[in-house]
Amino acid sequence: MPEALGGTATASRPVPAPPAGPPTAPAAGRRLRVPRFALAVPAGAWLVAFFVVPIGTIVWFSFGYKPGLFGTHANDVLSLDRYREAFSPTFFATFQNTLWVGVAGTALCLLVGMPTAYWMAVKAPPRRRGLLVALVMVPYWTNFLVRTIGWQVILAPQGWLSSLLQTLHLTGGPLDVLYTRTAVLIGVVYNYLPLMILPLFVAFDRVGPSLREASKDLGANRWRTFTRVTLPLARPGIIAGTVLVFIPLMGDYVTATVLGGAKGNMVGQLVASQFQTAQNWALGSAMAVVLILVIAATVGVIALLGWLVSLPIRARHRLVLDEEGA
Amino acid sequence: MSTAAGTTAPQGSEPDAGPEAGTTAPDGQARTRPAGEDGSATGAADAVVLRRVSRFYADVAAVDDLSLTVRRGEFLSLLGPSGCGKTTTLRMIAGFEHPDTGDILVDGASVVGVPPHKRAVNTVFQAYALFPHMSVAENVAYGLEQSRVPKQQIRERVTEALEMVRMRGYAGRPPTQLSGGQQQRVALARALVNRPSVLLLDEPLGALDRQLREEMQVELKLLQSRLGISFVFVTHDQGEALSMSDRIAIMRAGRIEQLGDADTIYSTPASAYVAGFVGQQNFVDGESRGEGVVDTALGRMRTSREVEAGAGDRVRVAVRPEFVDLTGTEPTGPAENLVRGEVIGVAHQGETRQFLVDAGRGHTLLVRRPTPVAPRLGVGDTAWCRWEADHVHVFPHDGEHSAAPPTSVPDD
Repeated sequence: MPEALGGTATASRPVPAPPAGPPTAPAAGRRLRVPRFALAVPAGAWLVAFFVVPIGTIVWFSFGYKPGLFGTHANDVLSLDRYREAFSPTFFATFQNTLWVGVAGTALCLLVGMPTAYWMAVKAPPRRRGLLVALVMVPYWTNFLVRTIGWQVILAPQGWLSSLLQTLHLTGGPLDVLYTRTAVLIGVVYNYLPLMILPLFVAFDRVGPSLREASKDLGANRWRTFTRVTLPLARPGIIAGTVLVFIPLMGDYVTATVLGGAKGNMVGQLVASQFQTAQNWALGSAMAVVLILVIAATVGVIALLGWLVSLPIRARHRLVLDEEGA
Repeated sequence: MSTAAGTTAPQGSEPDAGPEAGTTAPDGQARTRPAGEDGSATGAADAVVLRRVSRFYADVAAVDDLSLTVRRGEFLSLLGPSGCGKTTTLRMIAGFEHPDTGDILVDGASVVGVPPHKRAVNTVFQAYALFPHMSVAENVAYGLEQSRVPKQQIRERVTEALEMVRMRGYAGRPPTQLSGGQQQRVALARALVNRPSVLLLDEPLGALDRQLREEMQVELKLLQSRLGISFVFVTHDQGEALSMSDRIAIMRAGRIEQLGDADTIYSTPASAYVAGFVGQQNFVDGESRGEGVVDTALGRMRTSREVEAGAGDRVRVAVRPEFVDLTGTEPTGPAENLVRGEVIGVAHQGETRQFLVDAGRGHTLLVRRPTPVAPRLGVGDTAWCRWEADHVHVFPHDGEHSAAPPTSVPDD
């Protein structure tokens, strides 16, 4: 066997600019050397200034309190009382509602987005794909709020959808969807679907036709090819799409405000109202921190579930030959 | 003329497939169905039969009224430049493309309309197409899993297949950790483990470096003769085709220009195109005078072979570099098949020495002599090139490639 393996990957890695100046590269030592992390400095500085610092501030505020009617926050006495308030039954119900909309909305986006992305990447004629991607993005050319208000018009009891359904005798009375959790769900699926479709499209597209052909050539029908080859290889895209939809959706408050009314309350709205209306920045901060933790925990749980589900599937197809490496 | 001769060749070869057929039929699941096609085949059916198959892209025929029979247990190469339709032909046998007209039979049964996963053929793809998320063993097991072979049997057959390609020790590795040659062998094992009636190979050695490619050629041929499975091998590399194939189909513009064994194609090419495609040729155009005599810009040529052209026709004369004798002094004898020129290049190639001779009037001749008998001539020396009438081929001039015909194949 002429091919030598093992250790070549590390051994052949290009050696960085010689630190001790070996005799082979005398000129390199004289050049002004910019550390490699310099490339990450602009983005890093941005993140520190506008992400890390604000988050730190929020966490700091969450341990404080509202000093009086006209003050927004004070931190001279630190306590966990705001968290205790955040976990009151009212807030707990809202958290539950948010989580439900978040999980159901993400699942619906995945359910709707998967066939669409597959069709775009696999079945649609290749020269149309650019156009299709552009079409998926078209809603983003319009203001987020305006699009959501558009749904308010559609879903209203006196709206055209309601009239149409009544004319067709599909509903008994006027449509009773607006200002419910269902309306919020419809709104978030509509608003976040492109964020699901695009990474899925890229993932399906990257698998390429040759592996699917190889699978069919080896006797697998379309469905088996999809479940055994396309889907496992598109996994990074599925994860990316799910995370991209789930996280902003959990914090969304525009959709919930416009379409949800009192029944469709989401944590995002609560946080916003604490900052804007109640002027209680400490409580708002505590809620925001809880929301962050809930999102992180949910992502973790979903990842764990996904992994557990994949275990038996992997075990079924695993093939280890006896006396390995004979 | 030359193309017409080309398309009749495969049909002419069908009757003599009968006696050979079935002698090397692969064991086991081969679907042996009496074919009775054309009333000629008697025993087991031919592995693959293409009958007047055409495939159009827009209005262009990628494959044009092509007929071809792949016999049981034979190694058949489809040789041609890119765009000649060889890959499309292969993909139609595999089921990834569908013929617009004509019929394709595998094991004697028509497979038109049968999806790829239901065909008893397997493919080794150009870029191997190994599944990156499965180990080597799981890749090889994939096809067996699809046909619901019991796990213990899968284990045995995968082990056997990996041993066959000397990759047993890599069973647990992901294919991404393997070199090109190793991936190649895994792809081969993954296809062969299913014991297909026909193995289709789509330029499988194209990505390998030269030495590895030559090793794999030998290995492939050995494997094929041992297993007795029919191989259809697509390549643009004439050396590959010549060294491995039982028969070679030279393709051009969607048709088969000539079908025959390596020797036939080398020594009696059916057209100037085939002559130029396989091996190297010195070409010179001229006018036929009848009786094997042609007048060219380089003087009078004579052939003892049959000429498919009448007196006064434009023809193309071809002689291979290895059949040209080179001397530093004027040889005696008639002034036919004799060209005087000046040596403008010498290349030592180990067992042979190659000379480039400027014969004037824009013609250069390539001469290849075995090193022990090569004349001691250098650049600038006057030289005489001479060859026997036996080695002169005269082809009707087909206007299509009046420019220099290919002496080597483009890479892609």
